[in-house]
Amino acid sequence: MDPLGDELTPIAILIDELKSEDVQLRLNAIHRISTIALALGPERARDELIPFLRENVDDEDDEVLLALAEELGKGMEEFVGGRDYGHVLFIPLEHLAVAEETLVRDKATDSIIKIAAILSPSQLEEYYIPMLKRLSQGEWFSSRTSSASLYASAYPRVSPDTQTELRKLFTTLGGDDTPMVRRAVSKWLGPFAKNLSRDHVISDALPLYRKLSQDDQDSVRLLTVEDLITIAQQLGPAEVGSQLLPQLRSSVTDKSWRVRYMVANHFVELAEAVGPVIVRDEMVTAFVQLLKDNEAEVRTAGAGQIPGFAKLIDNRETILAKIIPCVKDLSTDSSQHVRAALANQLSGLAPLLDKEATIENLLPLFLHLLKDEFPDVRLNIISKLEQVNSVIGNELLSQSLLPAIMELAEDKQWRVRQAIIEYIPLLATQLGRTFFDEQLANLCMSWLGDSVYSIREAATINLKKLTEVFGVEWAKVAIVPKVAAMGSHPNYLYRMTTVLCMTTIGPSLTVEVIRDHVLQVLLTLITDPIPNIRFNVAKSLEVMATTINSTPEGRDISEKRIAPAVDNLRRDVDADVRYFANRAFQKAVAMA
Amino acid sequence: MADLDRQIEQLLQCEPISEAQVKQLCSKAREILIEEANVQYVDSPVTICGDVHGQFWDVMELFKVGGMCPDTSYLFMGDFVDRGFYSVETFLLLLAYKVRYPDRITLIRGNHESRQITQVYGFYDECTRKYGTSNVWRYCCEVFDYLALGAIVDGRVFCVHGGLSPNLTTIDGIRAIDRKQEVPHDGPMCDLLWSDPDDIQGWGLSPRGAGFLFGSDIVKSFAHSNDIELIARAHQLAMEGYKLMFDKKIVTVWSAPNYCYRCGNVASILELDDQLRQEYKVFSHAVSDVRSVPAKLPPAEYFL
Repeated sequence: MDPLGDELTPIAILIDELKSEDVQLRLNAIHRISTIALALGPERARDELIPFLRENVDDEDDEVLLALAEELGKGMEEFVGGRDYGHVLFIPLEHLAVAEETLVRDKATDSIIKIAAILSPSQLEEYYIPMLKRLSQGEWFSSRTSSASLYASAYPRVSPDTQTELRKLFTTLGGDDTPMVRRAVSKWLGPFAKNLSRDHVISDALPLYRKLSQDDQDSVRLLTVEDLITIAQQLGPAEVGSQLLPQLRSSVTDKSWRVRYMVANHFVELAEAVGPVIVRDEMVTAFVQLLKDNEAEVRTAGAGQIPGFAKLIDNRETILAKIIPCVKDLSTDSSQHVRAALANQLSGLAPLLDKEATIENLLPLFLHLLKDEFPDVRLNIISKLEQVNSVIGNELLSQSLLPAIMELAEDKQWRVRQAIIEYIPLLATQLGRTFFDEQLANLCMSWLGDSVYSIREAATINLKKLTEVFGVEWAKVAIVPKVAAMGSHPNYLYRMTTVLCMTTIGPSLTVEVIRDHVLQVLLTLITDPIPNIRFNVAKSLEVMATTINSTPEGRDISEKRIAPAVDNLRRDVDADVRYFANRAFQKAVAMA
Repeated sequence: MADLDRQIEQLLQCEPISEAQVKQLCSKAREILIEEANVQYVDSPVTICGDVHGQFWDVMELFKVGGMCPDTSYLFMGDFVDRGFYSVETFLLLLAYKVRYPDRITLIRGNHESRQITQVYGFYDECTRKYGTSNVWRYCCEVFDYLALGAIVDGRVFCVHGGLSPNLTTIDGIRAIDRKQEVPHDGPMCDLLWSDPDDIQGWGLSPRGAGFLFGSDIVKSFAHSNDIELIARAHQLAMEGYKLMFDKKIVTVWSAPNYCYRCGNVASILELDDQLRQEYKVFSHAVSDVRSVPAKLPPAEYFL
């Protein structure tokens, strides 16, 4: 049947599907509304589809409402007659913006904002603003909550009279009885203030911010921290000093830890906004206070801001006198999360101090944290070693580093072992070959025999990277014989490691090393009783052939040694061995 | 072959393949599975796994500990689907491996590989949600009917999802079953997929309402008369990942860590080397689980 033949068909199908018992069918129908609108043509889409959607947005399933709110914002205006008619989409969206479910409301306001952006100023005045007023004065908190998000983006595009009205309405919303609405106002005050002129920031945003920052509910107050940052950015340091200091102080000492957490978490941003004078006079004390907070969450957030804030202090004496003592306390904090956060940031302080001060103040903390009982703390220190190393030098660090590495290398959590393996190439570069050969080489080999496959795999990749750091000659002596020795392990999964390791490091080796040292190992394992080993040998030989075929000598080796061996495997009893042998044979012969 | 390798790559990212690809994969899988015996003969060395229940990221964790297929050979003892959020991806990945490397992976049937059970415990809903129709579920159920009922490693280690049946005293008895059907409500085929070992003598009624409880004497006489050194089975949550019973004659292997994303248990796999020496590798749930749990969850149902 031609769907356009009967003019009623598209909308009839939609009606049918939207009434279905099955949520999935209703969802499918919603996702097709643009197609249906296209079939109807713009005029009928406006006159029939949109009113129909408006009538039917009472679906009890939020998933369907969410889908509708999303679809309406995805360029739907194209199907109702272009941007000149974009406002008709507000009809169903306004209704969705009042829904009970937050996800639906948020998606609806997102879509409204998207559509508003393409409308003309006169459309905004005629359709958007009246809708905004209705929502702002709606009976239900859900409607008023949604309205708070719609002020900021439209404000710059409407007439001065309307702007005055919007500022009034927004302030009224901020005094709403329902905390949910005040929370929404707190959340949107920042973006709104960004679009206000300086005078209006002082006359409207500032009083509103002051009121909200004193709200009974901590969930409202904590959202005002970001407003404070925006307003401070708008006003500039001088005005902050005269207008905002009491609020700043009360946020830092708020009785709710969630508010203090927000301050701690945004501290650097806040400090940048208030300028150097207030940083010196107020913020240093405030920061120290937050680092000594009773709640571990606040201290963790504060620890994350240490180097960033220290950079803003820009005064070595103050850092040493005020911040370093706190850092020392944090390094013995009772919460592992605080110590882990500190461990991540500590090295960032080193460049701000000179070598002497670093050795005197930071080195003991590094050494202490390297012995932390919590593996994440130790790993965080090791991962940032580069910055410290450049300041305090190798010898001092390496002595204390080794025990920490050894312990992490044997941690019972395999992810911890994996994390330390990943730092080994970096450590090798920093600490040098002698240190490595004496202290770390055995460790790297022992990972090849780890009981967890991922560790064995990481160990082979590590050896490849080490080969790139220390060179092929080193690999020939230090790695290849030890890897080869594992090829006689009684368990096939460990013999497999030998094959995988050769495959991994092969491309980093020279023709000579492959010819004299690697091939023999693989050609011994080619007769292994376990087929899994045999087909991995085939895969490995394929890699070797590809690696060495770039030279005439290599091609000769491929032809004389690899090809015949692989050829034998092509008649193996096992199908997978035959498959991989065939593939390797093509490679060995094709290039030879 | 190249298509299949691409599908495996895609499934390893936890992205479902298309309905047409599923149809083709399932039909190839049936061709392979129809050739297998009711009790499939498997060579050592092999790594034995228990229930995974659609916990895709935990299966990835399993492979990280045990090694990837085909480098490591695997035997999965059923209950691939239901309860987890990714039954579709999990089962199709294992099935794609089966079709690509039939000698490197063995899949046997669990009590959840059934039309009736999957309609209640999530796999059916997941298929219709992810594909819009129930076709994928139907294709998979047809494959379920072809899965082997058990496996035997080197003739010495008997592997089955649930346990033994009072109607079967020999492994040859299992070979006589016509397995290509929906799991019946009673009888030997049902028992293999539903029974549990228990600290009793002889046979007991199962609280599950299907299968039986069986005691140490039953296990010992079955092992003796079939010349078996170990029975490996799954089907029951083991908080430590595995549980040996009855003088280590029977072991429960459980491979779904933090079962249903809330039980807090660890999981394990059993590595048998070519001398049939047992090594249990214990592992915990994947970190990524927390991130990838869909926002709106249907309430999970438990205790079957």
